[in-house]
Amino acid sequence: MTLVAVEIPKIGLVMETARLVRWLKNVGDTVTVGEPLLEVETEKSIIEIEATVSGRLVEILMQPDQEAKVGDQIAWIDTGDAQPARPSAAEPPASGTKGALPSAVVFEAPVGERIRSTPVARRLAAEHGVDVARITGSGPRERVQLEDVRRAIGAQAAKEAPTVAARAPQGLSPMRRALARAMTLSNATIPQFTVERSVDVTMLQALRAEFSAALAQGSPTLSVNDFLLQAVARTLLEFPSLNATFSGDPESPDARIVNASGAHVGLVVAVENGLLVPIFHDVEQFGLAELARRRVDLVERGLKGRLKREELEGATFSISNLGAHGPDRFTAIINPPQSAILAVGRQRDAVVARYGTMEVRPICELTLAVDHRVADGRLASAFLARLVEILEDRDWRLK
Amino acid sequence: MEQTFIDILRRALDEELARDASVHLLGEDVATGGAFGVTRGLAQKFGAQRVRNTPISEAAITGLATGAALCGLKPVLEIMFIDFATLAMDCLVNQTAKYRYMSGGQLAVPLVVRTQAGAAGGAAAQHSQSLEAWFIHVPGLVVVAPSSPAEAYGLLKSAIRLGDPVLFIEHKRLYAMKEALADSAALPPIGKARIARAGKDVTLIAYSAMVHGALDAAENLARAGISAEVIDLRTLVPLDMATIAASVTKTHRVLIAHEAVRNGGVGAEIAARIGTELFDELDAPVLRVGCPFAPIPFAPELERALLPGSADIVRAVRQLLGSAA
Repeated sequence: MTLVAVEIPKIGLVMETARLVRWLKNVGDTVTVGEPLLEVETEKSIIEIEATVSGRLVEILMQPDQEAKVGDQIAWIDTGDAQPARPSAAEPPASGTKGALPSAVVFEAPVGERIRSTPVARRLAAEHGVDVARITGSGPRERVQLEDVRRAIGAQAAKEAPTVAARAPQGLSPMRRALARAMTLSNATIPQFTVERSVDVTMLQALRAEFSAALAQGSPTLSVNDFLLQAVARTLLEFPSLNATFSGDPESPDARIVNASGAHVGLVVAVENGLLVPIFHDVEQFGLAELARRRVDLVERGLKGRLKREELEGATFSISNLGAHGPDRFTAIINPPQSAILAVGRQRDAVVARYGTMEVRPICELTLAVDHRVADGRLASAFLARLVEILEDRDWRLK
Repeated sequence: MEQTFIDILRRALDEELARDASVHLLGEDVATGGAFGVTRGLAQKFGAQRVRNTPISEAAITGLATGAALCGLKPVLEIMFIDFATLAMDCLVNQTAKYRYMSGGQLAVPLVVRTQAGAAGGAAAQHSQSLEAWFIHVPGLVVVAPSSPAEAYGLLKSAIRLGDPVLFIEHKRLYAMKEALADSAALPPIGKARIARAGKDVTLIAYSAMVHGALDAAENLARAGISAEVIDLRTLVPLDMATIAASVTKTHRVLIAHEAVRNGGVGAEIAARIGTELFDELDAPVLRVGCPFAPIPFAPELERALLPGSADIVRAVRQLLGSAA
């Protein structure tokens, strides 16, 4: 019999480690070249690793959720050949020994110190899905005893009551993956700062009712988002320095700030297990009624996954409004390559000082996150102050 | 009315002699009461035919008793000191224990061998041993070791009525113990242990006189908030693993105590069976308390120093329950 090691291959330039998701074959199964053997999760995605030889899977050295490095041996396949397929992998090495194998493929057996535990403690731990290795034993030589497991179960139950069955690791949907990638990029590369202000929406709500009543039958009802879009567009045009995107590595001579022509604003829409950011182009050209119509159309097509590519890119700014059931205020993360995002808290009645007295007024809290590479605090606060001014004013373009 | 172990044994023999004409007593000096006076007066009551003195030859009288049993009598043979049972070993092991098996069940040996074991009052190395482990190694022999007068009363009667050879081991230190018999208590079955004290933290398994060491230890431990369950095995063969399992499943910690030396002792067998059959229940290694591997000394001070007792059990239990000690 000839044993050939299955190793973690290098997939992509940056891959260094992989986490085993699951085996697609069991010990004893026959495998053929090219047949998927197991799934591993890398930094980028979940991928299948295929058998490089045909034979019988005789030993599995790695279990789900374990991490392995590129080149680690994770299984042995018996090819049944008389001649070794690869001289270096003719016999499995005793775990941990470095024999004739090239160092890159030596299997580093994950042999930690043996955890001492009593049989009944192990049994109880297994019944409750508790890892005895994570329990500090109170017995002789730190042996994990029944009492220790009971304590651990109690602590766990207290922490996560009611007990929820652990969900198996799940692969990412394309939307989740895109979102994860964008948010990671944003957090890693964009230095973001925030400025906050509350806006009094008494006037805005009054006008919304008034305008909606004036609209033709069958027109979509105006939403606060339509007002936000128009107000943001106007502010962006007044502050062209913020209506821009940062491009390139700051270290590179090619780094530049690219100014936009026109106001192109994204509106964050929550969907099942993710979100969409349809882009409203040239917002300054439209009245509230047209913005409402476009909003309804974009959201409707967005939920069906029918947005065109240009309807998903080209903005410098986004609005995230978590609505009436949202938080009082929150911070949103900039959607690259945009340079700012406005987080709109829920409308609520608050006591505000007004003309020297206390009044109860409907307010929303606005949190503006800005790319510090593009703009500074003074500009951002001036922008926000102007935005609030517009939102509290009665100067709106309806048609 | 409270009676001593000796008086209660006499009463049990008296009642069995009266109940069943095939019951006979044999042994050295039994007609005059035996070495400890257990059979005193029975010869006068039942006659020399049924209560017979024998020569001082354990090999011969064990053969005689085995033959009598094969022929339909129910002899109760007294071997004065278990230390002398060595002389009767050939008969007990090769004849008495084998007849039922080798005759394909056609023959039976309804023989009870009463014998005294254990150290008491400086009887020295040849009259103080606890050799029960030798007998539990022989298929065909039942081994009974009662822990009190009342227990001995019921177990002796059950042994006489069993129909198979029984080694009935009486501990000399228990002979003066007094106890009252419950009125018309049912006879305990052979092979069924009893819970001498209920508890939940640790199981103490003992038999014969050591049951009292275990009970004393349990009382001592209770004052420290440790709840010990004490199992009185009563019979060593057959071993009541069901009772042991029920207790260990509850406490997860076990200590076996006996006066015999630990090496190759009854505790070793029980510990092995617990390790095999109840492995998943254990929360600590099974511990044993027993005599150090040495002959029993003659000097009373040394005898006291050597014999295991409740203090040794308490110490061992604290080790069993202790944290990282």
